[in-house]
Amino acid sequence: MADYFRARGLAVPPELDRHWYTDWRRLITVSTALVVLGIGFQLTDFDPRHLQFDYAPKILAQLARPDVSVCGPQNEYETWLDGACGLMVVTIFLGIVATLIAVVIALPLSFLAARNLMTGHPVTAAIYTLVRFVFTVMRSIDVLIVVILAAVIFGIGTAAGIMALAFHNVGVIGKLYSEAIEGIETGPIEAITATGANRLQVIWTAVVPQLVNPFISFTIYRLDTNVRLAPILGYVGGGGIGVMLFQNIQLLNYRATSFIILLIIATVAVMDFLSAQVRKRLA
Amino acid sequence: MLVIQHLTKVYPNGTHALDDVSLDVASGEFVVLIGLSGSGKSTLLRCINRLVEPTSGSVVFDGQDVTAAGGGELRRIRRQMGMIFQQFNLVKRTSVFSNVLAGRLGYRTTVATFSGHASRDDVQLAFENLQRVGILDKTYQRADALSGGQQQRVGIARALMQKPRLMLADEPVASLDPATSHSVMKYLEEINKKDDITVICSLHFLSLARRYGTRVVALNAGRVVFDGAPAEIDERRFKEIYGEDAVEVEIGPVAS
Repeated sequence: MADYFRARGLAVPPELDRHWYTDWRRLITVSTALVVLGIGFQLTDFDPRHLQFDYAPKILAQLARPDVSVCGPQNEYETWLDGACGLMVVTIFLGIVATLIAVVIALPLSFLAARNLMTGHPVTAAIYTLVRFVFTVMRSIDVLIVVILAAVIFGIGTAAGIMALAFHNVGVIGKLYSEAIEGIETGPIEAITATGANRLQVIWTAVVPQLVNPFISFTIYRLDTNVRLAPILGYVGGGGIGVMLFQNIQLLNYRATSFIILLIIATVAVMDFLSAQVRKRLA
Repeated sequence: MLVIQHLTKVYPNGTHALDDVSLDVASGEFVVLIGLSGSGKSTLLRCINRLVEPTSGSVVFDGQDVTAAGGGELRRIRRQMGMIFQQFNLVKRTSVFSNVLAGRLGYRTTVATFSGHASRDDVQLAFENLQRVGILDKTYQRADALSGGQQQRVGIARALMQKPRLMLADEPVASLDPATSHSVMKYLEEINKKDDITVICSLHFLSLARRYGTRVVALNAGRVVFDGAPAEIDERRFKEIYGEDAVEVEIGPVAS
Protein backbone atom coordinates (compact mmCIF):
# COMPACT_ATOMS: atom_id res chain seq x y z
CA MET A 1 0.00 0.00 0.00
CA ALA A 2 2.79 2.42 0.94
CA ASP A 3 4.42 1.70 -2.44
CA TYR A 4 1.39 3.16 -4.19
CA PHE A 5 2.20 6.55 -2.67
CA ARG A 6 5.98 6.30 -3.16
CA ALA A 7 5.57 5.34 -6.82
CA ARG A 8 3.63 8.58 -7.39
CA GLY A 9 5.95 10.75 -5.34
CA LEU A 10 3.30 11.36 -2.67
CA ALA A 11 3.83 11.52 1.06
CA VAL A 12 3.02 8.17 2.68
CA PRO A 13 0.26 8.39 5.33
CA PRO A 14 2.00 7.58 8.66
CA GLU A 15 -0.47 4.82 9.57
CA LEU A 16 0.56 2.87 6.44
CA ASP A 17 4.27 3.18 7.14
CA ARG A 18 4.16 1.65 10.60
CA HIS A 19 4.82 -1.86 11.93
CA TRP A 20 3.81 -3.06 15.36
CA TYR A 21 7.42 -3.52 16.46
CA THR A 22 8.45 0.01 15.42
CA ASP A 23 5.28 1.72 16.65
CA TRP A 24 6.70 2.91 19.97
CA ARG A 25 3.46 4.66 21.01
CA ARG A 26 1.53 1.42 20.82
CA LEU A 27 4.29 -0.51 22.59
CA ILE A 28 4.35 2.00 25.43
CA THR A 29 0.55 1.92 25.79
CA VAL A 30 0.36 -1.86 25.93
CA SER A 31 3.31 -2.26 28.31
CA THR A 32 1.98 0.48 30.61
CA ALA A 33 -1.39 -1.26 30.82
CA LEU A 34 0.34 -4.57 31.69
CA VAL A 35 2.49 -2.95 34.39
CA VAL A 36 -0.51 -1.19 35.97
CA LEU A 37 -2.49 -4.44 35.97
CA GLY A 38 0.43 -6.30 37.61
CA ILE A 39 0.84 -3.67 40.35
CA GLY A 40 -2.91 -3.74 40.92
CA PHE A 41 -3.03 -7.49 41.44
CA GLN A 42 -0.12 -7.28 43.91
CA LEU A 43 -1.53 -4.38 45.96
CA THR A 44 -5.15 -5.54 46.16
CA ASP A 45 -4.07 -9.11 46.89
CA PHE A 46 -6.54 -10.34 44.30
CA ASP A 47 -6.59 -14.13 44.37
CA PRO A 48 -9.58 -16.10 43.01
CA ARG A 49 -8.59 -19.02 45.30
CA HIS A 50 -9.94 -16.99 48.22
CA LEU A 51 -13.48 -17.13 46.81
CA GLN A 52 -15.51 -19.67 48.79
CA PHE A 53 -17.06 -21.76 46.07
CA ASP A 54 -18.20 -24.53 48.44
CA TYR A 55 -20.11 -22.07 50.69
CA ALA A 56 -21.84 -20.17 47.88
CA PRO A 57 -24.37 -22.84 46.78
CA LYS A 58 -25.83 -23.05 50.33
CA ILE A 59 -26.40 -19.32 50.43
CA LEU A 60 -27.79 -19.28 46.90
CA ALA A 61 -30.21 -22.05 47.84
CA GLN A 62 -31.56 -19.91 50.67
CA LEU A 63 -31.71 -16.82 48.46
CA ALA A 64 -33.77 -18.84 45.99
CA ARG A 65 -36.52 -19.21 48.61
CA PRO A 66 -37.48 -15.64 49.57
CA ASP A 67 -39.36 -15.29 52.85
CA VAL A 68 -42.56 -13.45 52.01
CA SER A 69 -43.58 -13.16 55.66
CA VAL A 70 -41.13 -10.26 56.28
CA CYS A 71 -43.39 -8.10 54.10
CA GLY A 72 -45.73 -7.32 57.02
CA PRO A 73 -45.25 -6.63 60.78
CA GLN A 74 -43.27 -9.27 62.72
CA ASN A 75 -44.92 -8.99 66.18
CA GLU A 76 -47.73 -7.14 67.97
CA TYR A 77 -45.56 -4.08 68.58
CA GLU A 78 -44.81 -3.47 64.88
CA THR A 79 -47.10 -1.79 62.35
CA TRP A 80 -47.19 -2.34 58.58
CA LEU A 81 -44.64 0.45 58.18
CA ASP A 82 -42.06 -1.65 60.06
CA GLY A 83 -42.36 -4.57 57.62
CA ALA A 84 -40.28 -4.78 54.47
CA CYS A 85 -43.14 -3.64 52.19
CA GLY A 86 -43.91 -0.66 54.43
CA LEU A 87 -40.23 0.28 54.60
CA MET A 88 -39.98 0.06 50.83
CA VAL A 89 -42.81 2.61 50.53
CA VAL A 90 -41.04 4.82 53.10
CA THR A 91 -37.84 4.55 51.07
CA ILE A 92 -39.62 5.52 47.84
CA PHE A 93 -40.97 8.61 49.56
CA LEU A 94 -37.52 9.31 50.97
CA GLY A 95 -36.30 9.58 47.37
CA ILE A 96 -39.29 11.72 46.36
CA VAL A 97 -38.93 14.18 49.24
CA ALA A 98 -35.17 14.51 48.68
CA THR A 99 -35.75 15.20 44.98
CA LEU A 100 -38.38 17.85 45.68
CA ILE A 101 -36.16 19.63 48.22
CA ALA A 102 -33.31 19.60 45.72
CA VAL A 103 -35.54 20.96 42.92
CA VAL A 104 -36.76 23.85 45.09
CA ILE A 105 -33.17 24.87 45.88
CA ALA A 106 -31.66 24.15 42.44
CA LEU A 107 -34.35 25.85 40.33
CA PRO A 108 -33.46 29.48 41.16
CA LEU A 109 -29.74 28.72 41.39
CA SER A 110 -29.66 27.08 37.96
CA PHE A 111 -30.45 30.40 36.28
CA LEU A 112 -27.40 31.88 38.02
CA ALA A 113 -25.29 29.04 36.61
CA ALA A 114 -26.39 29.50 32.97
CA ARG A 115 -23.58 30.90 30.86
CA ASN A 116 -25.79 32.62 28.29
CA LEU A 117 -27.57 34.65 30.98
CA MET A 118 -24.65 35.46 33.27
CA THR A 119 -21.52 36.23 31.26
CA GLY A 120 -22.56 39.70 30.15
CA HIS A 121 -21.20 41.61 33.16
CA PRO A 122 -18.17 41.01 35.44
CA VAL A 123 -20.33 40.79 38.59
CA THR A 124 -22.79 38.29 37.13
CA ALA A 125 -19.90 36.36 35.61
CA ALA A 126 -18.39 36.05 39.09
CA ILE A 127 -21.70 34.77 40.49
CA TYR A 128 -21.90 32.32 37.59
CA THR A 129 -18.45 30.93 38.34
CA LEU A 130 -19.19 30.67 42.06
CA VAL A 131 -22.55 28.90 41.66
CA ARG A 132 -21.07 26.54 39.11
CA PHE A 133 -18.20 25.74 41.46
CA VAL A 134 -20.62 25.05 44.32
CA PHE A 135 -22.67 22.74 42.07
CA THR A 136 -19.53 20.87 41.08
CA VAL A 137 -18.44 20.39 44.69
CA MET A 138 -21.91 19.22 45.77
CA ARG A 139 -22.03 16.83 42.86
CA SER A 140 -18.57 15.40 43.19
CA ILE A 141 -18.95 14.19 46.76
CA ASP A 142 -20.55 10.78 46.48
CA VAL A 143 -23.99 10.35 48.07
CA LEU A 144 -22.78 7.58 50.38
CA ILE A 145 -20.06 9.80 51.83
CA VAL A 146 -22.55 12.64 52.34
CA VAL A 147 -24.94 10.22 54.09
CA ILE A 148 -22.20 9.09 56.48
CA LEU A 149 -21.42 12.72 57.29
CA ALA A 150 -25.12 13.60 57.65
CA ALA A 151 -25.68 10.56 59.92
CA VAL A 152 -22.81 11.75 62.10
CA ILE A 153 -24.10 15.33 62.21
CA PHE A 154 -27.89 14.80 62.41
CA GLY A 155 -27.98 11.28 63.82
CA ILE A 156 -28.87 8.04 62.06
CA GLY A 157 -32.28 7.91 60.34
CA THR A 158 -34.37 8.96 57.36
CA ALA A 159 -33.75 12.66 58.04
CA ALA A 160 -30.03 12.18 57.47
CA GLY A 161 -30.76 10.21 54.32
CA ILE A 162 -33.05 12.88 52.92
CA MET A 163 -30.65 15.72 53.73
CA ALA A 164 -27.71 13.94 52.14
CA LEU A 165 -29.60 12.88 49.01
CA ALA A 166 -31.02 16.40 48.61
CA PHE A 167 -27.55 17.93 49.05
CA HIS A 168 -26.01 15.82 46.33
CA ASN A 169 -28.97 16.39 44.01
CA VAL A 170 -28.85 20.18 44.21
CA GLY A 171 -25.51 19.86 42.44
CA VAL A 172 -26.77 17.39 39.84
CA ILE A 173 -30.16 19.00 39.15
CA GLY A 174 -28.61 22.49 39.15
CA LYS A 175 -26.19 21.41 36.43
CA LEU A 176 -28.87 19.69 34.35
CA TYR A 177 -31.24 22.68 34.57
CA SER A 178 -28.55 25.24 33.79
CA GLU A 179 -27.50 23.25 30.74
CA ALA A 180 -31.12 23.21 29.57
CA ILE A 181 -31.19 26.99 29.97
CA GLU A 182 -27.94 27.30 28.02
CA GLY A 183 -29.46 25.23 25.25
CA ILE A 184 -32.48 27.41 24.50
CA GLU A 185 -32.94 28.90 21.06
CA THR A 186 -32.41 32.63 20.84
CA GLY A 187 -34.48 33.05 17.65
CA PRO A 188 -37.88 33.10 19.40
CA ILE A 189 -36.53 35.59 21.96
CA GLU A 190 -35.51 37.90 19.14
CA ALA A 191 -38.86 37.48 17.38
CA ILE A 192 -40.95 38.16 20.49
CA THR A 193 -38.78 41.18 21.36
CA ALA A 194 -39.47 42.50 17.85
CA THR A 195 -43.24 42.47 18.49
CA GLY A 196 -42.76 45.15 21.13
CA ALA A 197 -43.05 42.85 24.15
CA ASN A 198 -41.31 43.81 27.39
CA ARG A 199 -38.67 41.68 29.12
CA LEU A 200 -41.07 39.73 31.33
CA GLN A 201 -43.38 39.04 28.40
CA VAL A 202 -40.41 37.80 26.37
CA ILE A 203 -39.32 35.43 29.15
CA TRP A 204 -42.85 34.13 29.68
CA THR A 205 -43.59 33.66 25.98
CA ALA A 206 -40.26 32.68 24.43
CA VAL A 207 -38.11 31.25 27.25
CA VAL A 208 -40.42 29.39 29.66
CA PRO A 209 -42.08 27.17 27.01
CA GLN A 210 -38.63 26.00 25.96
CA LEU A 211 -37.72 25.00 29.54
CA VAL A 212 -40.83 23.30 30.90
CA ASN A 213 -40.35 19.96 29.18
CA PRO A 214 -36.60 19.57 29.74
CA PHE A 215 -37.01 20.54 33.40
CA ILE A 216 -39.77 18.00 33.98
CA SER A 217 -37.82 15.39 32.08
CA PHE A 218 -34.64 15.94 34.13
CA THR A 219 -36.60 15.96 37.38
CA ILE A 220 -38.23 12.63 36.62
CA TYR A 221 -34.87 11.20 35.61
CA ARG A 222 -33.38 12.27 38.96
CA LEU A 223 -36.44 11.01 40.84
CA ASP A 224 -35.88 7.64 39.25
CA THR A 225 -32.18 7.68 40.16
CA ASN A 226 -32.86 8.82 43.71
CA VAL A 227 -35.44 6.13 44.42
CA ARG A 228 -32.84 3.70 43.11
CA LEU A 229 -30.18 5.13 45.43
CA ALA A 230 -32.43 5.38 48.49
CA PRO A 231 -32.37 1.68 49.53
CA ILE A 232 -28.57 1.73 49.80
CA LEU A 233 -28.56 4.80 52.03
CA GLY A 234 -29.84 2.75 54.97
CA TYR A 235 -26.63 0.78 54.86
CA VAL A 236 -24.61 3.76 56.01
CA GLY A 237 -27.18 5.31 58.37
CA GLY A 238 -29.66 6.94 56.02
CA GLY A 239 -32.79 5.04 57.15
CA GLY A 240 -35.34 3.22 55.03
CA ILE A 241 -35.33 -0.35 53.76
CA GLY A 242 -31.53 -0.41 53.58
CA VAL A 243 -31.39 -0.68 57.37
CA MET A 244 -33.53 -3.81 57.29
CA LEU A 245 -31.45 -5.28 54.47
CA PHE A 246 -28.25 -4.62 56.44
CA GLN A 247 -29.66 -6.19 59.61
CA ASN A 248 -30.87 -9.32 57.88
CA ILE A 249 -27.52 -9.88 56.20
CA GLN A 250 -25.78 -9.47 59.56
CA LEU A 251 -28.20 -11.99 61.11
CA LEU A 252 -27.50 -14.42 58.23
CA ASN A 253 -31.22 -14.27 57.41
CA TYR A 254 -30.74 -14.95 53.73
CA ARG A 255 -34.37 -15.81 52.98
CA ALA A 256 -35.52 -12.43 54.33
CA THR A 257 -32.59 -10.76 52.56
CA SER A 258 -33.70 -12.34 49.31
CA PHE A 259 -37.23 -10.97 49.64
CA ILE A 260 -35.94 -7.45 50.36
CA ILE A 261 -33.60 -7.55 47.38
CA LEU A 262 -36.43 -8.73 45.11
CA LEU A 263 -38.60 -5.92 46.46
CA ILE A 264 -35.91 -3.37 45.64
CA ILE A 265 -35.35 -4.81 42.16
CA ALA A 266 -39.08 -4.71 41.44
CA THR A 267 -39.37 -1.11 42.65
CA VAL A 268 -36.39 0.05 40.60
CA ALA A 269 -37.68 -1.75 37.51
CA VAL A 270 -41.11 -0.13 37.84
CA MET A 271 -39.60 3.32 38.43
CA ASP A 272 -37.27 2.87 35.49
CA PHE A 273 -40.14 1.89 33.21
CA LEU A 274 -42.44 4.72 34.34
CA SER A 275 -39.70 7.33 34.09
CA ALA A 276 -38.74 6.20 30.59
CA GLN A 277 -42.39 6.28 29.48
CA VAL A 278 -43.02 9.77 30.82
CA ARG A 279 -39.77 11.15 29.42
CA LYS A 280 -40.46 9.64 26.02
CA ARG A 281 -43.73 11.52 25.86
CA LEU A 282 -42.04 14.77 26.84
CA ALA A 283 -39.36 14.63 24.18
CA MET B 1 -41.80 57.13 6.25
CA LEU B 2 -38.45 55.68 7.27
CA VAL B 3 -35.39 57.90 7.29
CA ILE B 4 -32.03 56.33 8.04
CA GLN B 5 -29.10 58.69 8.35
CA HIS B 6 -25.40 57.93 8.67
CA LEU B 7 -26.09 54.62 10.37
CA THR B 8 -22.95 52.86 11.54
CA LYS B 9 -22.56 49.66 13.49
CA VAL B 10 -19.28 48.35 14.83
CA TYR B 11 -19.54 45.07 16.72
CA PRO B 12 -17.41 44.57 19.85
CA ASN B 13 -15.07 42.28 17.88
CA GLY B 14 -14.24 45.21 15.59
CA THR B 15 -16.38 44.23 12.58
CA HIS B 16 -17.73 47.24 10.72
CA ALA B 17 -21.13 45.76 9.83
CA LEU B 18 -22.63 49.07 8.69
CA ASP B 19 -20.62 52.01 7.44
CA ASP B 20 -22.45 55.30 7.11
CA VAL B 21 -25.69 53.98 5.62
CA SER B 22 -28.31 56.55 4.65
CA LEU B 23 -31.65 55.51 3.21
CA ASP B 24 -35.00 57.13 2.70
CA VAL B 25 -37.91 54.73 2.33
CA ALA B 26 -41.28 56.05 1.17
CA SER B 27 -44.60 54.59 2.23
CA GLY B 28 -45.76 51.67 0.09
CA GLU B 29 -42.36 50.72 -1.28
CA PHE B 30 -41.15 47.13 -1.54
CA VAL B 31 -37.44 47.51 -0.88
CA VAL B 32 -35.23 44.51 -1.48
CA LEU B 33 -31.84 44.41 0.22
CA ILE B 34 -29.24 42.39 -1.59
CA GLY B 35 -25.57 41.71 -1.01
CA LEU B 36 -23.19 38.94 -0.04
CA SER B 37 -23.40 37.15 3.27
CA GLY B 38 -21.86 39.43 5.87
CA SER B 39 -22.52 42.57 3.85
CA GLY B 40 -24.69 44.01 6.63
CA LYS B 41 -28.24 43.23 5.48
CA SER B 42 -29.30 41.55 8.73
CA THR B 43 -27.62 44.20 10.84
CA LEU B 44 -29.36 46.98 8.93
CA LEU B 45 -32.79 45.37 9.40
CA ARG B 46 -32.10 44.80 13.10
CA CYS B 47 -30.94 48.38 13.61
CA ILE B 48 -34.28 49.61 12.26
CA ASN B 49 -36.17 48.05 15.19
CA ARG B 50 -33.09 48.11 17.44
CA LEU B 51 -32.76 44.42 18.03
CA VAL B 52 -29.18 45.48 17.36
CA GLU B 53 -28.03 48.74 18.92
CA PRO B 54 -26.47 51.01 16.27
CA THR B 55 -23.11 52.59 17.13
CA SER B 56 -24.02 55.94 15.63
CA GLY B 57 -26.47 57.53 13.22
CA SER B 58 -30.22 57.81 13.43
CA VAL B 59 -33.37 55.98 12.38
CA VAL B 60 -36.58 57.97 12.23
CA PHE B 61 -39.84 56.11 11.66
CA ASP B 62 -42.90 58.27 10.94
CA GLY B 63 -41.41 61.18 12.79
CA GLN B 64 -40.51 59.03 15.81
CA ASP B 65 -36.81 58.86 16.56
CA VAL B 66 -36.17 55.12 17.00
CA THR B 67 -32.53 55.52 17.95
CA ALA B 68 -33.35 57.94 20.78
CA ALA B 69 -36.39 56.08 22.14
CA GLY B 70 -36.13 54.38 25.50
CA GLY B 71 -38.01 51.50 27.16
CA GLY B 72 -41.75 51.87 26.66
CA GLU B 73 -41.46 54.26 23.74
CA LEU B 74 -39.18 51.86 21.86
CA ARG B 75 -41.67 49.02 22.42
CA ARG B 76 -44.51 51.16 21.06
CA ILE B 77 -42.43 51.86 17.95
CA ARG B 78 -41.47 48.19 17.59
CA ARG B 79 -45.07 47.05 17.60
CA GLN B 80 -45.68 49.12 14.46
CA MET B 81 -42.99 47.12 12.65
CA GLY B 82 -43.53 43.45 11.96
CA MET B 83 -40.55 41.21 11.44
CA ILE B 84 -40.07 37.79 9.90
CA PHE B 85 -36.92 35.70 9.95
CA GLN B 86 -34.94 33.20 7.92
CA GLN B 87 -35.33 30.54 10.63
CA PHE B 88 -38.97 31.58 11.28
CA ASN B 89 -38.17 31.92 15.01
CA LEU B 90 -41.41 30.39 16.22
CA VAL B 91 -41.74 29.06 19.75
CA LYS B 92 -41.66 25.45 18.61
CA ARG B 93 -43.26 23.68 21.55
CA THR B 94 -46.38 25.81 21.60
CA SER B 95 -49.30 25.80 19.21
CA VAL B 96 -49.56 27.75 15.99
CA PHE B 97 -52.35 29.72 17.62
CA SER B 98 -50.22 30.81 20.61
CA ASN B 99 -47.44 31.81 18.26
CA VAL B 100 -49.74 33.99 16.21
CA LEU B 101 -51.33 35.50 19.30
CA ALA B 102 -47.83 36.44 20.56
CA GLY B 103 -47.81 39.09 17.83
CA ARG B 104 -50.22 41.08 20.04
CA LEU B 105 -47.88 41.18 23.05
CA GLY B 106 -46.87 44.78 22.43
CA TYR B 107 -50.50 45.78 22.95
CA ARG B 108 -51.07 43.69 26.07
CA THR B 109 -50.18 44.23 29.72
CA THR B 110 -47.71 41.95 31.46
CA VAL B 111 -50.43 40.69 33.82
CA ALA B 112 -52.70 39.80 30.91
CA THR B 113 -49.79 37.90 29.36
CA PHE B 114 -49.23 35.80 32.49
CA SER B 115 -52.95 35.07 32.88
CA GLY B 116 -52.88 33.67 29.35
CA HIS B 117 -56.29 35.09 28.60
CA ALA B 118 -56.53 36.72 25.19
CA SER B 119 -59.20 39.27 24.42
CA ARG B 120 -62.03 38.41 22.03
CA ASP B 121 -60.73 40.91 19.47
CA ASP B 122 -57.24 39.42 19.54
CA VAL B 123 -58.58 35.90 19.07
CA GLN B 124 -60.75 37.10 16.20
CA LEU B 125 -57.77 38.81 14.59
CA ALA B 126 -55.63 35.69 15.03
CA PHE B 127 -58.15 33.57 13.16
CA GLU B 128 -58.44 36.17 10.41
CA ASN B 129 -54.68 36.22 9.90
CA LEU B 130 -54.39 32.43 10.00
CA GLN B 131 -57.09 32.25 7.37
CA ARG B 132 -55.33 34.84 5.31
CA VAL B 133 -52.05 32.91 5.10
CA GLY B 134 -54.00 29.69 4.49
CA ILE B 135 -53.13 27.66 7.57
CA LEU B 136 -56.39 27.82 9.49
CA ASP B 137 -56.51 24.01 9.56
CA LYS B 138 -53.15 23.91 11.40
CA THR B 139 -54.26 26.28 14.17
CA TYR B 140 -53.98 23.86 17.08
CA GLN B 141 -50.90 21.94 15.92
CA ARG B 142 -47.52 22.39 17.49
CA ALA B 143 -45.47 24.90 15.53
CA ASP B 144 -42.64 22.45 14.85
CA ALA B 145 -45.06 19.96 13.27
CA LEU B 146 -45.41 22.29 10.28
CA SER B 147 -43.28 22.39 7.13
CA GLY B 148 -40.86 25.26 6.54
CA GLY B 149 -43.18 27.17 4.26
CA GLN B 150 -46.07 26.78 6.69
CA GLN B 151 -43.90 27.95 9.59
CA GLN B 152 -42.93 31.06 7.66
CA ARG B 153 -46.63 31.75 7.04
CA VAL B 154 -47.18 31.49 10.80
CA GLY B 155 -44.37 34.04 11.11
CA ILE B 156 -46.17 36.35 8.68
CA ALA B 157 -49.47 35.90 10.55
CA ARG B 158 -47.69 36.71 13.83
CA ALA B 159 -46.23 39.89 12.33
CA LEU B 160 -49.62 40.88 10.86
CA MET B 161 -51.14 40.66 14.37
CA GLN B 162 -49.18 43.81 15.17
CA LYS B 163 -51.14 45.66 12.45
CA PRO B 164 -47.78 46.96 11.31
CA ARG B 165 -47.13 49.71 8.81
CA LEU B 166 -43.65 48.43 8.06
CA MET B 167 -42.62 44.81 7.55
CA LEU B 168 -38.99 43.81 8.00
CA ALA B 169 -38.09 40.47 6.43
CA ASP B 170 -34.65 38.98 7.07
CA GLU B 171 -33.98 36.43 4.31
CA PRO B 172 -37.55 35.10 4.64
CA VAL B 173 -37.14 32.44 1.94
CA ALA B 174 -33.47 31.43 2.32
CA SER B 175 -34.47 28.21 4.12
CA LEU B 176 -37.20 27.28 1.65
CA ASP B 177 -37.36 25.53 -1.70
CA PRO B 178 -38.05 27.61 -4.86
CA ALA B 179 -41.79 26.88 -5.13
CA THR B 180 -42.39 27.60 -1.44
CA SER B 181 -40.23 30.71 -1.73
CA HIS B 182 -42.58 32.16 -4.30
CA SER B 183 -45.65 31.35 -2.24
CA VAL B 184 -44.16 33.17 0.77
CA MET B 185 -43.00 36.11 -1.36
CA LYS B 186 -46.50 36.41 -2.80
CA TYR B 187 -47.93 36.88 0.69
CA LEU B 188 -45.42 39.67 1.23
CA GLU B 189 -46.37 41.18 -2.12
CA GLU B 190 -50.04 40.97 -1.19
CA ILE B 191 -49.69 42.71 2.17
CA ASN B 192 -47.55 45.34 0.44
CA LYS B 193 -50.15 46.07 -2.24
CA LYS B 194 -53.47 45.41 -0.50
CA ASP B 195 -52.69 46.53 3.03
CA ASP B 196 -50.27 49.23 1.99
CA ILE B 197 -47.62 47.89 4.37
CA THR B 198 -44.13 49.04 3.42
CA VAL B 199 -41.77 46.07 3.07
CA ILE B 200 -38.01 45.91 3.51
CA CYS B 201 -36.83 42.44 2.64
CA SER B 202 -33.36 40.97 2.29
CA LEU B 203 -32.93 38.30 -0.37
CA HIS B 204 -30.18 36.13 -1.78
CA PHE B 205 -31.60 35.63 -5.26
CA LEU B 206 -31.52 38.55 -7.63
CA SER B 207 -34.30 36.95 -9.67
CA LEU B 208 -36.60 37.20 -6.65
CA ALA B 209 -35.49 40.79 -6.11
CA ARG B 210 -36.36 41.66 -9.70
CA ARG B 211 -39.70 39.89 -9.52
CA TYR B 212 -40.99 41.35 -6.25
CA GLY B 213 -39.04 44.52 -5.47
CA THR B 214 -40.03 48.02 -6.47
CA ARG B 215 -36.58 49.17 -5.40
CA VAL B 216 -33.30 47.39 -4.80
CA VAL B 217 -30.66 48.48 -2.32
CA ALA B 218 -27.35 46.65 -2.49
CA LEU B 219 -24.86 46.52 0.36
CA ASN B 220 -21.22 45.62 0.19
CA ALA B 221 -19.06 45.62 3.32
CA GLY B 222 -21.63 47.71 5.14
CA ARG B 223 -21.94 50.40 2.46
CA VAL B 224 -24.75 51.12 0.01
CA VAL B 225 -23.28 50.37 -3.42
CA PHE B 226 -26.49 50.49 -5.43
CA ASP B 227 -29.90 52.05 -4.88
CA GLY B 228 -32.39 52.06 -7.70
CA ALA B 229 -34.94 50.18 -9.78
CA PRO B 230 -34.52 46.39 -10.13
CA ALA B 231 -34.21 46.68 -13.91
CA GLU B 232 -31.11 48.88 -13.62
CA ILE B 233 -28.98 46.02 -12.33
CA ASP B 234 -27.00 44.89 -15.35
CA GLU B 235 -23.92 42.71 -15.67
CA ARG B 236 -21.53 45.48 -14.59
CA ARG B 237 -23.57 46.50 -11.54
CA PHE B 238 -24.00 42.86 -10.59
CA LYS B 239 -20.22 42.41 -10.45
CA GLU B 240 -19.88 45.59 -8.41
CA ILE B 241 -22.25 44.16 -5.84
CA TYR B 242 -21.21 40.54 -5.73
CA GLY B 243 -17.58 40.73 -6.88
CA GLU B 244 -15.79 39.90 -10.15
CA ASP B 245 -16.08 36.12 -9.85
CA ALA B 246 -19.82 36.00 -9.25
CA VAL B 247 -22.20 34.41 -11.72
CA GLU B 248 -25.92 35.05 -11.48
CA VAL B 249 -28.05 32.00 -10.77
CA GLU B 250 -31.80 31.86 -11.24
CA ILE B 251 -34.34 30.57 -8.81
CA GLY B 252 -37.02 28.54 -10.58
CA PRO B 253 -39.93 30.20 -12.42
CA VAL B 254 -42.97 31.41 -10.56
CA ALA B 255 -45.23 28.45 -9.90
CA SER B 256 -48.83 29.49 -10.22
